[in-house]
Amino acid sequence: MKKKTYIFLLLAFCVRFAAFSQTDSMQVNLTEVVVTGTGTPHLLQDAPVQTEVITGKMLRNYAGKSIEDILGGLTASFAFNQDDMGSQMQLNGLGNSYILILIDGKRIHGDVGGQNELSLIDPQNIEKIEIVKGASSALYGSDAIAGVVNIITKKHRDEGVLVENTTRVGSYGDVRQHNGLSLRYGKVSSYTNFQLQHSDGWQNTAVEHTLPNEDPITDSRNKTVNRYTNWQVSERITYQPSRDWELYADGSTYWKRIYRVSGRHPHYDVKTWDMEYHNGSASVGGKWQRSKTDFISLDVDWNRHAYYYYYTATTLVEDYEKSAGTPYYPYYPYLPDQKELQSDQQRTMATLKSVFTLPYENRLSAGAEYRYDWLKAPTRVKGGKASDWTAAVYVQDEFNLIPDVNITAGLRFNQNEQFGAKFTPKVSAMWKPGNIWRLRATWSQGFKTPAIRELFYRYVRQMSGTYLYLGNPDLKPQSSNYFAIGGEYGHNGLNITVTGYYNKVKDMIALVTIPNYQAPDEYIAQYDPVKTRQYQNIEDAKTVGVDVNVRYNWREFAFGMGYSYLDTDAHQYDTNHDKMRQVTIDGTAHHKGNFFATWSHRFTPDYQLGIGLYGRMSSTRYYQDDGNGKGYQIWRISTSHTFGHSTAMSYHIEAGVDNIFNYCDRTPHGLHLGTTTPGTTVYASFTIRFNHGKRLNNKYNINTKKQNDDED
Amino acid sequence: MKIKSLMIAMLAICMGLGMVSCSDDKDEPNNENNYTIYQKAVTQTVKSQKKSDKAILLVAFGSTWEQAYNAFDATVAAYKQAFPGYDVYLSFSSAICINRAAAGENVDPRNFYAPPFWLNAFAEVEYMEIVVQSLQVIPGEEYTRVINYIKDFANNANGDISDKYLSMVELRLGVPLLQDAESDVNKVAEELNKLYKNQAAEGVVAFMGHGNPDSYDTYKANVRYTQLEEALQQYSTNYFVGTVDMMNNFKTNVYARMTAAGITSGKVYCHPLMSIDGDHGHNDMAGDDDDNWDGSKFTPNDEGEVEDTSWKMYFHHLGYTCDNSTMINKGLLELPTIRQVWMNHTKAAIAGEPLDYYHSKNPE
Repeated sequence: MKKKTYIFLLLAFCVRFAAFSQTDSMQVNLTEVVVTGTGTPHLLQDAPVQTEVITGKMLRNYAGKSIEDILGGLTASFAFNQDDMGSQMQLNGLGNSYILILIDGKRIHGDVGGQNELSLIDPQNIEKIEIVKGASSALYGSDAIAGVVNIITKKHRDEGVLVENTTRVGSYGDVRQHNGLSLRYGKVSSYTNFQLQHSDGWQNTAVEHTLPNEDPITDSRNKTVNRYTNWQVSERITYQPSRDWELYADGSTYWKRIYRVSGRHPHYDVKTWDMEYHNGSASVGGKWQRSKTDFISLDVDWNRHAYYYYYTATTLVEDYEKSAGTPYYPYYPYLPDQKELQSDQQRTMATLKSVFTLPYENRLSAGAEYRYDWLKAPTRVKGGKASDWTAAVYVQDEFNLIPDVNITAGLRFNQNEQFGAKFTPKVSAMWKPGNIWRLRATWSQGFKTPAIRELFYRYVRQMSGTYLYLGNPDLKPQSSNYFAIGGEYGHNGLNITVTGYYNKVKDMIALVTIPNYQAPDEYIAQYDPVKTRQYQNIEDAKTVGVDVNVRYNWREFAFGMGYSYLDTDAHQYDTNHDKMRQVTIDGTAHHKGNFFATWSHRFTPDYQLGIGLYGRMSSTRYYQDDGNGKGYQIWRISTSHTFGHSTAMSYHIEAGVDNIFNYCDRTPHGLHLGTTTPGTTVYASFTIRFNHGKRLNNKYNINTKKQNDDED
Repeated sequence: MKIKSLMIAMLAICMGLGMVSCSDDKDEPNNENNYTIYQKAVTQTVKSQKKSDKAILLVAFGSTWEQAYNAFDATVAAYKQAFPGYDVYLSFSSAICINRAAAGENVDPRNFYAPPFWLNAFAEVEYMEIVVQSLQVIPGEEYTRVINYIKDFANNANGDISDKYLSMVELRLGVPLLQDAESDVNKVAEELNKLYKNQAAEGVVAFMGHGNPDSYDTYKANVRYTQLEEALQQYSTNYFVGTVDMMNNFKTNVYARMTAAGITSGKVYCHPLMSIDGDHGHNDMAGDDDDNWDGSKFTPNDEGEVEDTSWKMYFHHLGYTCDNSTMINKGLLELPTIRQVWMNHTKAAIAGEPLDYYHSKNPE
């Protein structure tokens, strides 16, 4: 029976590759292999956990400039808000704090206010994106509450040298650079990647939202999206001592600055600092591929994310004490071009993963993880530094309960330095009555470990009185229960999935005003009279919705659409009024959708053309304060041109027009926008790739084999 | 051999990244240097403006509103005229207000340095008489900060002022607008009535002070608002004085007092009782609400205040004539007769005994 499965898998691959070579236009291939839902490879159509895939082909046709552009344009479930600090991401109503973002299965590191640094992802180096919605903490641990986004990067496994450059330029000074150098000789390979992203930013309106009794401001310098530049260099060295073994070491360094212009209205558009981010990583690890499905891997990772104010004008800060024991200043000046560290988050992780095939078609995944977090935040935590650790073990079994019914059941045990023990289960079932229909159901729990900031915060702010913000070492993890049921139909090039879900998150953490007698006496003695706020597990949220995805492939055409209905109901703490209130989660819309239609044709052996029309739309986005965001629809035409058929050199051009109907939300600054698009923009990218060497028939790894062959 | 070279490469990467991360600390500025550089700039400003050996330092919380800057500028001009022998400076105590006023594109920077920097600069150029005038309305929490700055100065908290100078300099403190429960309160009531008696004849004139929350009610200064209302009501029972932050004296309490007095309809004029018309005047008093009024009752918070709405919209929805035309958006410093009360306090400080704060914090 086990052999039968292998044969079927292999057959499916062969069929899929054959189909691929015949009709190059296939946008979504149901024989795509996905790994994110279970941690083990499955054909997309047979994945026990519903997985949405943005394939390499879709990415190339769409020519997205950033991960925000890609997820916002090619799915219906993601929404983005832009503010002074960058993008804020939402997945089916829940924010970035509750979305786990992985790059090749490893969690991205570093956040500011819960928002990950999404520019760490090089959009030109993505092979495909897998999205698993809902809680997946049994497998992935903390943060996997709204869903998991797994960015799978391109793997270059050809013998010899590969050099590639992609330069993409667009309106508003948009520049993207991707440079890759791959070397592979025998058992050793190296891959060096450089990426740069820049935008001049733009301003949709120079009007500020002013008060009725105030002179209007029509010359604001506040931008809708700020100018930014970021770059990253990364290096990975791989050594394969034998067919079954792979060892690697990798590292990266990253820099980003968000630039803010200053105007002449101190109340509205005068700023005295920019934001700067430094990120670095180093990893070593290895994988022993015991068979086509079974492996054991060990990874040790260190990551750092530091956030600075970069002062652009002389700036006084109040209550300055660089660290314990240094002089105290009621006011302390920073001078232009100086930086002040706001937070330095460092994480060290060791992750052991394994997959074993057991008798009776059981596939067992088991692993262990140790994570140590360290935070340096001189002005924000007690003593300037704090740490926290978590150790975890998990186990997951995939098996057929009865013929046609596949069960995936997992359990994770976490031991955290602060909150102690926590179990997180997940059960998914798939019923497969034949090859056309699939029914899936999931119950899973998610959790989010309290951030170090939330545990150990100590921040005094003096503005119309003194406020003391305190961490709370007694915080429980935020936790969720996720229920989903879905059906999938796939036949004759048509694929339809419908998934209904209910996600209930409790013990969400917020700052709450507390009586001073509950605060440590030492602080009250030092700062009284003071208003004290402390992080507490007080909020909750319910999201309920339906996601529909339709794909249809016919000859050289591919069509797709997504629709997402969402309703939210949350109890949030209102710090202005010190009370709970029932709200719709900020930024959510009831209806969101996306659409695409693509056509591709090889005119001559040397030239292939692809044309795509893409639409994304949203109904009104709700906010508690400062107005709702207007509903919108935005359409895009993208073309791709592939030249030559030499294996050594290849050229690829992507060019298009985004927002062809020139939609722009010019709501005054200070109120919410539905979308920040500046109106019609154009873009073009040119890729040149030089490949000197021979293509390897990689026998080592079923995952990478699939990825390897999917590249053009 | 290959494994060795691989390990060396790994080590190199790790070390390289380690170095990258360490080098960031170099960006952290040198404390002494920054403070000294900034203080030098303040001292330079003072040197360039010094005309006599006597200085008046006006201390306000600060603002980011342009209307407030005009009020401050006019106040400085009035002081210069009234106190010809003195150099006049203006100070903000809010760092954010200082930063925003000093930066900005294509504007002349306004340097409202924080009090300690001005005072240190005054010592540097050896002003022999320094009058610190509080521009606060009541002698409350902010005023205690002003006193503390003077004490820090007199006690040489930074240790960089010569003891000889400190023993010689005359320090004087001008008290807030409503320092005295009788003379100041009555004088301010009298002057306000002169200005707004026509409005009080037409309807309610509701003044909106700031006030301190209960736990900050330093010196129990909140009572001045109640005293001012009593004094104003000697002229007309249509005068009311409420606050943003004082317990039992929010707009809801003002409304309760109005209805108790039988005023259930008619015009309601609103006027900030703050030195300048800034954020509170524009938002808390005269702002439009985010939410559309749905006809439901206001829901007060634990302290009895309805915080979701401005004074304007609150009284408007309660059936009074209260709209943009009844908003009197003027700060008290914009009213010359009220400004004169502050100036009288400065005169009194100059005429009275100097402060005896020298070594007051750590008496030997």
